[in-house]
This record gives sequence, structure tokens and C-alpha cells, in this order.
Amino acid sequence: MKKRKKQRKLIRLSNLLLDSLKKLNGSRLKQIQTVMDEFNEKCLETIKDKHLFDTAVEKNWLIGAESIRSRIERNLNDFSQHLQRFKELINSDEAVTPNLIDIFKELLQIEQEFGKLNINFKEKTISVMTEDIVLDDTSLGPFEIRLFINQLAKLYEDSPYRVIAIESNPAGNNSEVTHPHVSGERLCEGDGHVAIRAALEQGRFNDFFMLIISILRTYNPDSAYISLEDWEGRGCYDCGDTISQDECYYCEKCDREFCPQCSTYCRVCETTVCLGCSSECQECHEPVCVDCMNTCVDCEEKYCKNCLNEEGLCKNCELERKENENEELHSEKADAEV
Amino acid sequence: MQILFINNSGGGFANHLDIAEGTTIEQFFKIKMSGQNEEDNLIRVNRMPVSKDYVLQDGDRVTITPTKIDGARSAVLEQIA
Repeated sequence: MKKRKKQRKLIRLSNLLLDSLKKLNGSRLKQIQTVMDEFNEKCLETIKDKHLFDTAVEKNWLIGAESIRSRIERNLNDFSQHLQRFKELINSDEAVTPNLIDIFKELLQIEQEFGKLNINFKEKTISVMTEDIVLDDTSLGPFEIRLFINQLAKLYEDSPYRVIAIESNPAGNNSEVTHPHVSGERLCEGDGHVAIRAALEQGRFNDFFMLIISILRTYNPDSAYISLEDWEGRGCYDCGDTISQDECYYCEKCDREFCPQCSTYCRVCETTVCLGCSSECQECHEPVCVDCMNTCVDCEEKYCKNCLNEEGLCKNCELERKENENEELHSEKADAEV
Repeated sequence: MQILFINNSGGGFANHLDIAEGTTIEQFFKIKMSGQNEEDNLIRVNRMPVSKDYVLQDGDRVTITPTKIDGARSAVLEQIA
């Protein structure tokens, strides 16, 4: 009785998935239409350019011919991109569109491979759970891969599935990043993109889940949202606080990273520096980097470049010198008068 | 003898292939996935795991799925764009 009930549930689900696949096929054809229009437009542009180029060459308009050649060169790059996209869409495997039995078998296989297939008829979703994903000794916990059946038809516009961290261990500086290749529950498919799309188009739902898991099990440091090296967040070199990438300031003098509280900028050259590599000008009391700080030639106190005159004197010493000079002048005058 | 081969590495292509009678799954893997390790792939015949010496039969459905695939952000964003 229980087995029969389960079978009915799977048949109902198979029907639902089959309907979505039919809609997906419809949207694929529409997509082909759009891409074909774009491709056609590009071809027409090329033909037009060819006529213009022929005329320019015939009439010996060399500058014009060169300008058209350069435009054709630019257009060729776009053309190859359109061609690639067109080929991707139009390529169809000889594998037949699945029928109800095929999809039913897929669902049974998912249960066999993953132990359990979670079905939610209300939200029209199916999902499986992964094991605890551990990459380079960093445990990221298990993930739920949830496919939204109604969104299957929009495969060419948006991703119809989410990768949800169950016992989340997100990156220290971005809670949205729960895996080096998952941000905001969306997976960066990378090398798996075409295979995932093919699996969904052909109703190979078990392969779809398998492919997602294969990506989750793999760490590609070259194109991760946040590398595992920085997973726990960056530490401020001064106070040790964990800081996000946006809050991280790089001191150009000591080549280390600091939090906003432990960094500043030089008011003279506007370079970002840490508090250790800056000091306060005795005159203006602004922070200044070591390179923009000079010593007064008279009092030997430290001042920023802006607060020293051309002779290297601070305001006090400049004033003092002037007073001394005046005094000398007065005394010289007095002596002369005497 | 013809089998359906679904190769989930790369393009995820599904094709009907002619193979010689008596070909084992191990031999088939070596021909089709040359240079790759069997351990790095999930091999299923008619949706079931089989032993290396399984002799392929006419109409079999062979699926090979890599266990590790590089994720990246660029490809997806390019597609959406």
C-alpha cells in the first residue's frame, strides 16, 4: 500500500516534470528563433559591408576601404560569438525527448543514488542532499540542491535551481558565499555549464544532480568567489580583527592589510597608510606618511611638507628667524647711529 | 551492436554508438575516455553501477559522469549576459 502510494507520487511528479520539459522545449525553439534573427542580422551587415568594400576598392578609395576593413574585423569578433551561441542552441543530440517512463526511472535512480528525493508539490520543487562538503580541510557542511520545476522553462534566462547550505559555514567576510563557487545560493557552473544544461534539456535529472555535486566537491582557486585561503576572512595586521574585502585597506608603505580603524591616508600625497606608517604633523595635526614628513632644519621637530617653508623651516622657527633678523637689524641700526 | 552513450564531461553529449560485440565497460571507458582515470568518474550502465568486466549489451545505456568539475563564475555570467 505504501509502495503504491509512493509510486503514484512519483508518477504525479514525472507528469509535472514532463510538462515543464515540453515548455522548456518550446522556449528553446523561441530562443533559437531569436538567436537566428541576430545571426541573420549579422550576415546582412557583412553582405552590406562587402558591397561597400568592393566599391571602395574599385574606385581606389583606399582610406574608405581601410575603414570598412577595420569595421569588418570588429564585426567578425561579434560574428564568431553569435555563431558559437547559435551552434550551442541548435545542436541537438540524437537522444529522444524523454517520456513519462524515462522520467520515472530518473526519479527512482535519484532515490537510489542519493538515498532520498525530497518532493514538495506545493512549491513544485525536488531536491537532494549532499554529504558534508570538505574542500582543502575546510568543512562547508551539507548542501541541498533544489530544482524549481516551474522555472525549468526559463532555463535560458535564469538558473532554475538553488544550492542551499544546510549547516552553513560561510566565508568570514561575506555570509552570502557558502562555498567558493556558490554565492546567494547560485552556483558558478564553470566547466559543468553545458553538461548541466544538456542534462536538464534531456530530462536527465539524476545526471543534473550528480553534475552539481561534482562541482561542489571541486575547488577551483582561480575563479572562486572567495578563495579558501581567505575563507575565515582577512585579519587586520594591527588589531587582528576579521575584515571583509570592502573594509580592507592596504598600506602602501609596509605592504600589509588593515581595518578602517587602523588605517588612514596621508593628507599630503593621499596615499593609504596604516597608523604605524603615518605620524601627526606638529603644526596642522593631520596624519602624514613617512615620505611626506620632514624635519625642521632649526628645531628638528617633524612637520608635513605643507607646513615647512622652502628653506625647510616650520612656522615657529621661521617667525623666530625673522624676529632674530629684525633684532639684528635694529641692533645694527642702533650701532650705526651710535 | 548499438549502445546509448551519455558523456557528462564537457558538453554532456548523448549519442548512439556502434561498438564491437563482447566489449567490456572497462575497454569502452579506455577507448572513449582515454587518458582519464576510472576512479574520477561515475560509470553507470542502465542506471546501475557495474563491475569492470561487464560485457556491454545491445541497447545498453552508458553514463559517465566526472566526480570533479571545476566551477567558475565567468562562464555563467557570460551566458546570462
